[in-house]
Amino acid sequence: MKIDRPQLQRKIDLLWILTRKEIILQYKRTSLGILWSLLNPLLLAFVFYIAFNIILGVQILNFPLFILSALFPWTWFATSVSASTVSLISNKSLVKKFLFPKHYLLIASVLSQGIHFVFSLPIIIVLVYIYGKHVDIIWLIGIPVLLIIQFIITIGLSLAVSVINVYFMDFQFIVAFLLQVLFWITPIVYKFDNIPEIYRTLFLYVNPLAPLMSSWRELFMSNTIYWNWVGIALLGSVVILFLGLLVFRRLSKRIDEVI
Amino acid sequence: MNHFVIDLEHVWKKYPAKKDRPGIKEFMVNFYKSIYKKSDHGNSLFYALKDLTLKIKKGECIGIIGQNGAGKSTLLSVILGTILPSKGRVEVMGRVTPLLELGAGFHQDLTGRENIILNGILLGMTKLDVLHKMDTIIHFSELEEFIDLPVRTYSSGMYLRLAFSVAIHTDPKILIIDEVLSVGDERFQKKSKETILKLIKGGITTVFVSHNLKDIEEICNRVLWINHGVVVAEGEPEMVTERYRKEMNKNG
Repeated sequence: MKIDRPQLQRKIDLLWILTRKEIILQYKRTSLGILWSLLNPLLLAFVFYIAFNIILGVQILNFPLFILSALFPWTWFATSVSASTVSLISNKSLVKKFLFPKHYLLIASVLSQGIHFVFSLPIIIVLVYIYGKHVDIIWLIGIPVLLIIQFIITIGLSLAVSVINVYFMDFQFIVAFLLQVLFWITPIVYKFDNIPEIYRTLFLYVNPLAPLMSSWRELFMSNTIYWNWVGIALLGSVVILFLGLLVFRRLSKRIDEVI
Repeated sequence: MNHFVIDLEHVWKKYPAKKDRPGIKEFMVNFYKSIYKKSDHGNSLFYALKDLTLKIKKGECIGIIGQNGAGKSTLLSVILGTILPSKGRVEVMGRVTPLLELGAGFHQDLTGRENIILNGILLGMTKLDVLHKMDTIIHFSELEEFIDLPVRTYSSGMYLRLAFSVAIHTDPKILIIDEVLSVGDERFQKKSKETILKLIKGGITTVFVSHNLKDIEEICNRVLWINHGVVVAEGEPEMVTERYRKEMNKNG
C-alpha cells in the first residue's frame, strides 16, 4: 500500500491545530489560565477532605494522594466528555463550511484535556514523595497503558454523545447528570475494596472506569499494576469505542440536515 | 474515461420541513430511524435540489444565478462535500477550495496570524505550506500592523480581507465562490477580482455564485440559472442573464 505523505502530514497538522485551538481558547482571557485545570480538582479534593475526613470522620491513609490519584484522571475523562458533547455544535461554522473529518474535533478535545492531565502528574509525584513513597520504573509501563485505555474509552463515549447532541440538544444536560452518577459509582472517593463483595464483579464489568480509576490509584500509591483490572478495562474500552463509532458513523451522515 | 472535473448527475437534496428540534418522543423514534433506516420524514419534506445535473470540465468557470433560496448555496456545498445528496451521483476530481462565508473558520479570540494557520490547514494546506506563505498572505491582506491582534478587534472589512487572502493563497485547483467579490473597500474589491481572474486564466476550475450579473458576464464562460432547486436555463452567459433579467423585471 502506498502511503500518501502530504495527505498524512495534512491530517497530523489538522489534529495539531485543532488541539492547539482548544488549549489556547479554553482559558484565553482568564488570569490563571491553564492553572485552572489543576486548581479545579485540587479544590474539589479539599472539599472532599472536609466532607469525608473532618465531618464524617472517615479515616483514609494519605488522603490527598489517595483522592488525587483517581481524581486527576477522572477530571480528564469528565471534562473531555462534557466538552465533546457540545463540540460539533460549537464548531458548527467549521463543520458546515469546510470539508474535514469531523471526528478530529472530538479527538482534539480529548487530547487537549489529556495534556492538562499530563500537567497534573508532577503534583502526584510530589505527593508520592511527601508521603514517603517513591516513583517506580513500573510507571513507565503503567502510565502509557492506562493513558491509551482511558483515551479509547473517552473517545468512544465522546463520538456517541457529540453526534446525538446535534439531533437532540437536551442531551447535554442528560450527559452532565450521568457524569455525576458515574462519578459516584466509580471508586474515586472510596476504595475498590469498599464496594460490598457481591457487587464487585458487577462494578468491574459494567463500568470500565471502575477498574481503570482503581488501576491509576494502585499504580501511583503502591507501584503495582493489577493486570486483570487492566484487561477488563481494555475490553470495556474496545466495546465502548466500537459502539461509539457505530453511532457516530450512522448519525453523522445526515448531520448537515440538522446542524 | 471521465473528463469532467465536477460531475453531478440527477442530484436531489431533501430536508425535513419542520424547523423545530424534535421532542424526546420524536427523538427516540428518529434515533431508531436514523440508525436503522435511510432518511425518512413522511410527507413533510422540502427539496433544495431536484434532479439537478451539472457537468464541468477542467478550466471552466460556471456562474450560478437565481433568487434567494433557489438552492445555489446547497449546490455549492454538495460540490464541496459538506452536504451529501439524498439521491444522485456526485463526483469531484480533486480538492475543492471554498470561498463561501469568509471568515467562517476564524476564531474571535485567536490572533490574525493564528487564524491564518487554522484556516490554511482547514483549507487543506500543511502547516509548513502555511508558514511559507505567511508573509505573502499578510502582505496581500494589507493587515501587517494588526496581524498579532485577536481578530475580534478587526472591522468586518479587515476580517474579510484576511479570510480572502488565506483562501486565495492555498493553491486552489477547484474554487467555489459564494458572493464574495464584494470584499472590503472598492480598491480591495478590484484587487480581489483581478486575483480571481488571474487564477481562472491560470486554468483552475471555478463555480461562481453571484447576484451581480455584470460580474457573472465578465468572469464566467457558462451560466446556470436555478430556481427552487431546478435548472431553468443553462448556456452562454449573456443569453441566460438576459432571460433572467427579463424574468426578474416581470416579477418586480
